[in-house]
Amino acid sequence: MSEFYEGMAEIFEVDASKISSEFELHSGEAAWDSLAIVSTIALADDCFGVMLEGKALGECKTIADIENLIAAAKKG
Amino acid sequence: MKKVSARLKDIAVYLPDTVLGNDELAKLYPEWPAEKILEKTGISERRIASEHQTAGDMAYEAARNLFAQGQVAAQDVDFIILCTQAPDYVLPTTACVLQDRLGISRQAGALDINLGCSGFVYGLSMAKGLIETGAARCILLLTADTYSKYIHPLDKSVRTLFGDASAATAVVASEDAEEAIGPFVFGTDGAGAKNLIVEAGMYRLPKSCDTSTEQTDDSGNVRSRENLYMNGAEVMAFSLKEVPKAADTLLLKAGKSKEDIDFFVLHQANKFMLEALRKKLKVPEEKLPITMDDCGNTVSSTIPMALFKLIHQGRLIRGQRLMLVGFGVGYSWAACLLNF
Repeated sequence: MSEFYEGMAEIFEVDASKISSEFELHSGEAAWDSLAIVSTIALADDCFGVMLEGKALGECKTIADIENLIAAAKKG
Repeated sequence: MKKVSARLKDIAVYLPDTVLGNDELAKLYPEWPAEKILEKTGISERRIASEHQTAGDMAYEAARNLFAQGQVAAQDVDFIILCTQAPDYVLPTTACVLQDRLGISRQAGALDINLGCSGFVYGLSMAKGLIETGAARCILLLTADTYSKYIHPLDKSVRTLFGDASAATAVVASEDAEEAIGPFVFGTDGAGAKNLIVEAGMYRLPKSCDTSTEQTDDSGNVRSRENLYMNGAEVMAFSLKEVPKAADTLLLKAGKSKEDIDFFVLHQANKFMLEALRKKLKVPEEKLPITMDDCGNTVSSTIPMALFKLIHQGRLIRGQRLMLVGFGVGYSWAACLLNF
């Protein structure tokens, strides 16, 4: 399990085993609110050294969408 | 002229009586239980100024507390600096009103500075400048804000974080040759102004029926353009980007390393931001205090409030070296070293 997935599990307060690329941010288990977005910005910075935009994060539907933002940010 | 250096002599604080606890907030925001608010923000309660209590009133109380501690008397003060973003009047300057209320000499200088979370460090730099150029010998540095008056009751993004408070710090001339305050680094990025703002109410956008219209955002927070607005994501990104850079630049300027610093006293914004910054700065937990549990984010008073608490917990003692970093609304940031 990656540090990033563990961090996402903490943000959503779910068991780490539930987090995968397919995990839905707007599922009943998760709350993709401003606090979760702010926490994800800090997490991505910590794990990958990239700064994500709040607005783009707000439009994400799954963890895969966030991973795509991270990959794009890494390319810079 | 004999060389003098500025040093911090004493600090006092004031918190208003009304307590706003997490249980009360959780009733308004059902998706955020009281425990979650505490866990994420590190705040169990905030203090709120009463309806007719101003930042000037709170600064007065903090100054009275400072004088009561006996290290500095009103008649010693020859310059007042008040940092606030909620002055008593459009004009005159609130610091002038306080000179009279506090019985401070008519030969004293007085001015307000309009800054938020970076304001205390800016105030120290001004106090140092006045003292070390021989312009003043005893500065009363006041920080006071009443953000609660700007916050819509149904905006959980800011109401869970901010509290009202004031602090009074005495900065005095000392004949010691060693520099006690400084060096400093500053930073400004006005492009971030829109991300932490009370937009309406002054001259760019005077209050009107339009500006008082309440709107609900995507997260269910209610506010009008006369209320405080914070884009938490942008402010987080700004802080993570600039604070570690400012800390590194300051250490380089001072010729010190992180190991030389006993405490990193950062603006107490909220627990998750401070923990993210601590990770990024790579400093141990005990060196980066989080002291906002009983008062919340009190804007320009968070750093003196943290220093006051560290002193009273017996953790901060004379001779220790601190790094202070204020950052936020503006965007504006400032950092300095302090030999306590």
